[in-house]
This record gives sequence, C-alpha cells and structure tokens, in this order.
Amino acid sequence: MEYILKNGIVYDPANKVNGEKKDVMFKDGKIVEKVSSDAKVLDVTDKIVMPAGVDPHSHVAGPKLVVGRLYRPEDSRKGVTQKTNLLRGESGFSIPSCPTTGYRYSRLGYGTVVEAAMPPLEAKHTHDEIATIPNIDIPALPLFGNNWFVLEFAREGKIDELAAFISAWLKISKGYGVKIVNPCGSEAWGWGMNVHGINDKAPYFDVTSKEVIRALAKANEKLGLPHSIHIHPNDLGHPGNVPTTLETFESVKDIDKNAAVRNQNLHCCHLQFHSYSGNSWKDASSGAEEVAKYVNKADNITCDVGQVTFDETTTMTADAPMEYDLFKLSGLKWVNKDIECETAAGIIPIIYSPKSPVNTLQWAIGLELFLHIDDPWKVCLTTDHPNAGPFIRYPRIISWLMSNERRMEMIDNEVHKWVHSRTTLPTLDREYDFYDIATITRAAPAKIHGFSDRGELTPGYNADIAVYDINPNDIDPSKEHELIEKKFGLTDYTIKDGEILVKDKEIVKVKESSTIWTNVKGYEEEEKAVIEGIMPFFNQYYSIKWENYPVHDHYLSNPIRVDVEASK
Amino acid sequence: MKTITFKQKKTSSIALEFDELIPDEIYTWGESDFNKYEVPIGNSRFPLTDYFDIKVEGEAESPDEVKMIINGDLNRVKYIGCKMSGGEILCNSSVDLHVGAEMSGGTIIVDGNAAAHAGREMSGGYLEIKGNTKEFTGASYIGEWRGMTGGEIIVHGNAGKQCGECLSGGKITVLGNCDILAGIHMSKGVMEIQGDVNRWPGGQMKNGTIVINGKLGRLLEGFVFDEVVDNPDIEGKVYDGRFIKYTGDIGLNGKGTLLINADVNRDKLGEYGESDDEYTSIREYRNL
Ligand SMILES: [Zn+2]
Repeated sequence: MEYILKNGIVYDPANKVNGEKKDVMFKDGKIVEKVSSDAKVLDVTDKIVMPAGVDPHSHVAGPKLVVGRLYRPEDSRKGVTQKTNLLRGESGFSIPSCPTTGYRYSRLGYGTVVEAAMPPLEAKHTHDEIATIPNIDIPALPLFGNNWFVLEFAREGKIDELAAFISAWLKISKGYGVKIVNPCGSEAWGWGMNVHGINDKAPYFDVTSKEVIRALAKANEKLGLPHSIHIHPNDLGHPGNVPTTLETFESVKDIDKNAAVRNQNLHCCHLQFHSYSGNSWKDASSGAEEVAKYVNKADNITCDVGQVTFDETTTMTADAPMEYDLFKLSGLKWVNKDIECETAAGIIPIIYSPKSPVNTLQWAIGLELFLHIDDPWKVCLTTDHPNAGPFIRYPRIISWLMSNERRMEMIDNEVHKWVHSRTTLPTLDREYDFYDIATITRAAPAKIHGFSDRGELTPGYNADIAVYDINPNDIDPSKEHELIEKKFGLTDYTIKDGEILVKDKEIVKVKESSTIWTNVKGYEEEEKAVIEGIMPFFNQYYSIKWENYPVHDHYLSNPIRVDVEASK
Repeated sequence: MKTITFKQKKTSSIALEFDELIPDEIYTWGESDFNKYEVPIGNSRFPLTDYFDIKVEGEAESPDEVKMIINGDLNRVKYIGCKMSGGEILCNSSVDLHVGAEMSGGTIIVDGNAAAHAGREMSGGYLEIKGNTKEFTGASYIGEWRGMTGGEIIVHGNAGKQCGECLSGGKITVLGNCDILAGIHMSKGVMEIQGDVNRWPGGQMKNGTIVINGKLGRLLEGFVFDEVVDNPDIEGKVYDGRFIKYTGDIGLNGKGTLLINADVNRDKLGEYGESDDEYTSIREYRNL
C-alpha cells in the first residue's frame, strides 16, 4: 500500500529538515522517495509532521510493573475507560495496564519505547508483557551493573570474557544493550548497605563501582554494540551527588567508542536525579549548571533528563537502597525485591508537589539541564516514567520548554521560593523551537540508541510518523502553552510501519508490538567457554535450572533482530 | 425544593448501580428524564422504570434543593449517593456496597443496614446508618492510604472490621460495638465508639483520637499508657467519666490518642496504673 502525506510542515532533524513544507511518502511500511499515482493521499496541510517519537528510557514492562500494579490498586482506579469494539478498557495513571500503555504512547505519536531495566532472570516475564503492549516497539536493556558474574570479571579485569558474557546474555535475555544501575550499590543492598561515590567496593566482591563501569564500557565497545552503556550512576537522589556523576563521566573518557551510528560511549539516564549540590536537603541546591557544562564540553556523553512533572506517581528502580531512603523520608508503603545474583528492586509511591522545596528543586534542575545543555542531540526528553512523572505528561514538558513565559509564571506563582535561591532557572530565557523538540523526542534518542531504521524520515527507514494538528506559522508557543500541551497530547495521525494506528485523534488500529534485540556474531566460541566456566556457580546459586533460564524464540511474537559483527 | 420518590417494582439479583442518580446529576430531571434513563446492572444497562416508579414533585435550582426518597428493598442497590455534593437521600431499607462513598456534601440517611465501604473516602456531608454496617465503614479503598477526610458518619448499630481505616479527618461515631482494627492507619480525625471493641483498635495510627466507652478486649503492643484523665474534651465534646489514655502506635512513632473508659476497663487500669515497665521496655526497643 502506498501513501503520501501531503503538504505537511516537516521537522526531521536527522536530515536537517527544519519546518519545510513537503510531502512524505511511504510504501509497504517504509519511507520512499516517490510513489505511484495510485498512492492514497492523506491531506495534512500546514500540520506538523515528525518521525514517530522514540522514548530512550521508560519503565513499561516487567515484574516490577506487575508488583507496582498489585500493591497500588489505588493507581488503577484512575484513568478508567470503558472497553470499545477495538480497545480494551484502560486503567491506571502512573502504572497503567499493558494495553493502556500502548494506546497512550500511540496517541502521543510515539513508535518506540526502550524498557530501561530488565533483570535477565525476569526476561521471560518482561517479554510476555512486551507482547501485551500494543502499537509500540519495545527493546529492553538487561541489567548488568550488579550481576555477580560481571562483578567477578570486572575485578579480574577479564574484558574478553566479560564481552563474551554480555554477548551471550543479550541472546539469552533477548536484550538490546547494557544497563547499569547503581553499580555495586544494589548488590550491597543484599547486605542492607549501599555504596557512595564510585570508589566504594561491593561487599565481598572486592571490586569498585568505577571498575565495573569501566569494564562494562570497554566490553560494550569491544563488541561494538549499537547502544553505549546506559548508566544510572551511584548516589541517585542524594544531595551532593554531582561529584559522583562527574567522576562517572570522567571514568570512561579514555575508552574509544566503537560504533558508527552513535557519538557517545556513555548514556546517563535521568540526569536530573544526579545533579544535586550541597551536603544535605537543608543546604541542597542545583548542580545542573556544573553538570551541563561537563556535558557541553564532552563529546562522549549523552543524557536523558527524567523531568519531574508535579504529579502523584510511583517510583520503581533496581536501585533498591535508594528506594529505602525514600521510604525513610516519606513513610509511604514500600516494597522491595531481590533478584538472585543479579540485582534488587524497590517501589514506592511519591507525590511531587510544587509547594515542596525539594520537589521544586528537582523540577527546576530538570529544566535547567534542558536549557543549559547547548546541543539538543545530547539530551533527550524523559520523565524516567513513572519515576519522575508519567509519560503522558511529555506534552506538558514540551510546553514548558517552548515557553519562558509559562516557566516564569510558575516560578513567580506556583512553585516554592527555593527556585530563586537555589537554582539558575529564573535566569534562563532560552526557548526550544519545534526543530529542537523533534530532536530531543525522536532524532537524538534514536541516534543515541543506535537505531538505524527509525527516528528519521529517510527513505528506507520504517514509516513511523506522527502528525500533530499544529500550524507552526500560526501559533506562538511562548504564549499559547496550553494549546501546545493539548495538541502534542493527541496526534492527527500516528503511523507505525506504514499502518495508520491513530487517525483524527482516535486509535483506529491496534497492532502487535515487537521487541528489538541485539545478536552479536563472531563470539560464539567465547560465549560457549564463558557459559561452561560459570556453570558450576550457576547450578549452585540460581534457584532455577539453566535450561529454563533463556528466553526461547517462541516467547517473542515479532522480534526485530539487530545483527552486530563483533570486531574483537 | 424538589422531592423525587422511588417506589420499587421489582428487585434484581445483580446489583443496580446508582452513582449516576445523585442530586448533582438529576436536580433538573423531570419524570420523563427518569423514564428514559437506563441504570447500569452488571455489564449492561436496563430501563430504570423496570425496577422503580419515579414521582417528581416541585422544582430545584441546585442539587441542595433535592430530596430523594428511595423505598423498597435496596439490598442489591450499590453506590447510593456516591460522589454527591449536596441534597438529601433517604433510603427506607438496608443498602448494598459503597453508600455515600466519596461524598463531599449533603445528607444520606439509611433506615437499615449498610454493606461494606459505607462512606468510603468521604470528604464532607453527613451519613447516618440506623442499623449495622459491614467492613470498611468510612475507610479508604483497597491500596489507598488516604481515607475519609471530612464529614460525619453515625452508625446506630454495630460496625464491621476496619471501621475508619486510614481516617484522615472528620468524625465517625459508632453507637454499638466495633469489630477488629477500628481506626487502623488513622492519621487525623475522631472515632467515637460507644459500645465494645474486641481487639486491636488504632493499629499503626499516626495521629487522631479514638474514644471507646465500652469494654476493650485486646490492645496492641504499640500503645503505651499515658495517664488517667477525667472528663476528657475531644474537639469540643466532653466525655463524662474517667478514661485511660494511651499513646500510639509507637511502632511508627505515632502520636495518636486512644481513650478507653476506665470504669468499664478496670482490669487494664490495674495492669498499667501501677507499672508500665513492660511497655516502657517495648518503647525503648522500638527506639533503638
Ligand atoms: Zn529508569
């Protein structure tokens, strides 16, 4: 089937198309340069056309979502809709049901969402859930930062073995890239402890966080994976964590990146949570400017923000000791999970209030990062869904980024006065334009993840397209922030692989989703040797049999396999 | 003033849901509107007139000017007055789940018993149950930690388990007895229980006050004896007599107050009046 999106105003940063009036054509699911005269015309005159959104870091599938839904039934009471002939009934606000997640991303114009934390032991469950989320492709990042085998290899400095281990474990878990969460800290939590800074050792492993990060970065580049290491550094959410964050960045500076598709060798997720100055919450202040300065200078670092949205939401992370700290602060119901030999996890509800000094600080730091980091290709829009806010708030964040007037209104009337004394936000008047928005929501995240089939409207790429009912020549985002939020919240068209999923602001089609996983070639022998080497340990310490551990092919409904030739 | 009288024609084995039939929604309705209306039952809707004859008299400018009188057997009618903000509803029967749930104003009087979740999470208004209630009267719903925040509930009979769970404001009065875990997790507000309580009132309470005028069975270990007070005054109401005052739940560093009638509970007075060593040691242990 051939289509032509006619007369739209196109923003496609990867091809440096900045608000040009032009047609976008696609055929059989791919963008093409021209179509025949039989092509179906979709009139999108003077409407914004962008590649479909790419969320580089979100928590949408896996056991911690299920635990979250089980212990927060009060969240499921929100956002309930009746089922229709096409759609299942929706439920949930911060931890929506699986179908709801797919529908809502689709309405926002998103086509790809990276599930940012998958314990390999729970990979089957994660893929089962991915299969239940319609309309978006979901690659998942397996957790490596506290895995016992990784800690051993890192201590011994066995980078070749570690690379083979990663290569094997991506196949076993059908994972996409290397995720690291509070390296050594989540392992320490097994002993009721945490690590602070990057030079603390994991108890009984005699290895530091820095050694783990470096080893994983080296192995990642040795394999030449499409994505770099994806790190949630130590000391998340602690006042005074800026040095830890910067030392983390500095620790991989000398490691050469080895993948043509991306520029970075380290992606730092939800950087907002890692940019706090001061010593305690009493004297905490924003460290955003200092962190952004480093990111601006470095050519090997990218980040996503994890913007706080002032909602009641749910935090869930493999950084279990941090969740315990949050529990000590809020006293709300808290749940904790240990994933044997691999990681931990914790979940707790959280209410971000503009009246709270700390929450105001967090909100301001997120926006400061967006505004202080000069190059939009280095920074992506996320809320670390659902940790800093639910993803359905992306349009609101876009409206904040595009309107200094709105920000000043909030600074003057709505948020705590700490915003003046402890942040630089009131002094920043930069405003994003539609091109910048297209960069931070689709082009940059796709490039950072090393996708070579999405995130741009290049011929041959997937026909993943979003059309918004906005005429950029007819709107002043600085003044009409409410309209911006509304229009980015519901597309005129969301097109995925050439299929129209949303039309005129309504879902018209529900489509099975795919996972994307990385298949490294050329390490088969080494993988076998590594697995043989660790098998006695596995048999002794894992509670399941090796045969039941891998995600077999039949678990994946429509997998997209990314083949990588390892260079060695 | 508009009076809307419901006269039952037949009952249903699957519950009717009345949350759309609140004064806020129907104060402008005439009889013809009711005749058109379909009421949710299970996963479908059926004409309301299959189940009730409706008579409308007078006019209303606002929900506050509406009085609904519902006659018949309402044991399978759920959500009566749910989310209402004004007006008056009289039920001349026992009612099913969620009567007065999330109401913010107005009055509901039930001349009978109420099933579970009566007055759930209400924030204002007045709910009176002339009979007994089942579990979770004036409580939060499953998972939610913020319960009733305002208004008043009076139960003339006995209340079921976990009455006033997560109470965060307002007042619940039970003239009869209360089952286990009354006022569990409460953080604000007042619970007055005129009858007996068998076990564990106020578990994990952070603040607020529970007054028990009858006999208390077992008290939780998290409550420490404070003093014996005469005629305590709780938010403007004086309770005649001597009361033993406890503070808890110390497991959560709670500052809640539990008052129990000293004359009826003499055994407890003897137990703690002279020595509270055991409880002091618990307090020290928790503070470690
Ligand atoms: Zn995350």
